Amino acid sequence: MRWGVTAPVLLALGVLMLATLPLWGTGYVLSLLFLTFMYAAMASSWNLISGYTGYVSFGHAAFFGIGAYTSGILLTNKLAHVSAPWPVAVLVAGVVAALLALVLGYPALRLRGPYFAIAMLGLAEAVRVAVTLAEPLTGGGKGLSLPPALVDVPAYYAMGLLAMVAVALTHVVATSPVGLRLLSIREDEVAAEVVGVRTTLHKLVTFCVSASIAGIAGGLYAWKQSYIDPTTVFAAGLTVRAITMTMFGGQGTVWGPVIGAVVLTYTGEQLWARFPFLHTALFGGMIILILLFLPGGVIALLQERGWLPRSRRV
Amino acid sequence: MESAVAPTNALTLAQVAASGILLGGVYALLAGGLNLIFGVMRVINLAHGELLMLGAYAALGLFVLWGVPPLLALALIMPLLFGLGLLLQRLLVSRVVRQPPLTSLLLMFGVSLLLTGAAQQAFTTNFRSVPYLSGSVDVAGLALSLPRLVAFGVAAVLSAAVYAYLRWSRWGKALRATAQNPDVALMCGIDVDRARLLAFGLGAALAGAAGTLASFIFTIFPEMGGTYMLKGFAVIVLGGLGSFGGAFAGAVLLGLFESFAAYATNAQAAEGVAYVLLFLVLLVKPSGLFGLREG
Repeated sequence: MRWGVTAPVLLALGVLMLATLPLWGTGYVLSLLFLTFMYAAMASSWNLISGYTGYVSFGHAAFFGIGAYTSGILLTNKLAHVSAPWPVAVLVAGVVAALLALVLGYPALRLRGPYFAIAMLGLAEAVRVAVTLAEPLTGGGKGLSLPPALVDVPAYYAMGLLAMVAVALTHVVATSPVGLRLLSIREDEVAAEVVGVRTTLHKLVTFCVSASIAGIAGGLYAWKQSYIDPTTVFAAGLTVRAITMTMFGGQGTVWGPVIGAVVLTYTGEQLWARFPFLHTALFGGMIILILLFLPGGVIALLQERGWLPRSRRV
Repeated sequence: MESAVAPTNALTLAQVAASGILLGGVYALLAGGLNLIFGVMRVINLAHGELLMLGAYAALGLFVLWGVPPLLALALIMPLLFGLGLLLQRLLVSRVVRQPPLTSLLLMFGVSLLLTGAAQQAFTTNFRSVPYLSGSVDVAGLALSLPRLVAFGVAAVLSAAVYAYLRWSRWGKALRATAQNPDVALMCGIDVDRARLLAFGLGAALAGAAGTLASFIFTIFPEMGGTYMLKGFAVIVLGGLGSFGGAFAGAVLLGLFESFAAYATNAQAAEGVAYVLLFLVLLVKPSGLFGLREG
């Protein structure tokens, strides 16, 4: 059990390095890592519902977007006379996203997998249109400007913390009986029901937790950017990246989404800068290649080679 | 989806209804192909809207470069898309047909991203249109847009032809048998793999035809596929998954709903109609309004 010793040491070293980074890293590295944390959180969030239960959420950007707008509205003084402190705004963003997931998921999660996926595709679009139409509150298509704030370093720590919480949560789920029940839904939902798994309840709670992570990520993003508009925070590209990263690392694993985020955030930024249009095609091509040749992602590959233990903890 | 400003009376309502029905023609072709592919191999073709987009660009290219009228271009575009469909099935879908449905769903999602991105690179993201046919014709006091009337006519003929093919031809029967039960079909001596190939090719050809018709009644741009895929799905959910005849009824119904929503509110709200309708029907009656039962 070498891994039992090495893994925690490596983890501690990594956390230490990231925690001290604002002292020695450049601004570019800081913002790149902010994005990496954000995508790690988004991919982990997508992985929780889609990787473990097999219910593909094609509309995950909706939760990011609703979180961004919730914290955006609270940080300006649109609702109350004073603007909310950022931790409150960001946490409320998570709660609102979870509530949206509850409202959408309560009916939608009764649909079987593919139907759910299609329904989510439409619902995400409907949420975006609704936010755009609610102009007095959201500023409509023109977007919403927040009071400018220089928060690069605190935002870096906050997003890093969110990514860590997302991974820790996935770890807890994966190693608990709950994780087994979620996997049983993915493998054979009818059989899971027959042996007594309360499938709808499990799916719904997982969906809400997953949405709240995406919502908080959106809330932090709005706080850092101090400007949001519907096309950016509801971008289908957010969902696409979360899906590609998770599949690249390995869906239904704890560390897969993180591996995907680390490898693909930087590459994605470079591709996007050089080939603004072609990068969509490249993500699409990557999804196809992974599905055909590496369905278990990098994690499964490393496990086959014997470089990683075959455990639900990975 | 122009909203009329005339006062509400029977004639106006008839006008709105007529333009809604005409709208349904293209939706029917699109949904018919989606439905065929789903029925025969239980694959939700998330790239179906992108096949339509390719058809529309092909029609645009033929029209701009050589002045080929879109109705003539159909004869070239449909076989072309048929071939693309065969390729997609042979190279990609056939490899995952025995895996859980979500694998094929994600696979086609990848294909749709690939095609959209490639189109953005090749054709830029500008909005385009084919200036073919214009004006309106007077039918029983109703002014019907000529391009939409023609598109509806072609769509109706093509849909009827495919329906007849599925109903009476040898391979049509083989397709329906495969849709009902691939294992039993195989035991009865049907070449199931070939039936699947045919279904995907035919579905893609119909998407190409829908794209050709869409090219001169709607705007063409690389990301247009997503909306049409959702509309196509709304149609087959309305009409019943796997029921080809139901799809035509579902398409006309969606066209009517959209047309009346645009009349009552605005075009943006009308876009939302498809999504809301899709969701409600999925919840209330997952087998569709005209469907038999879930497979």
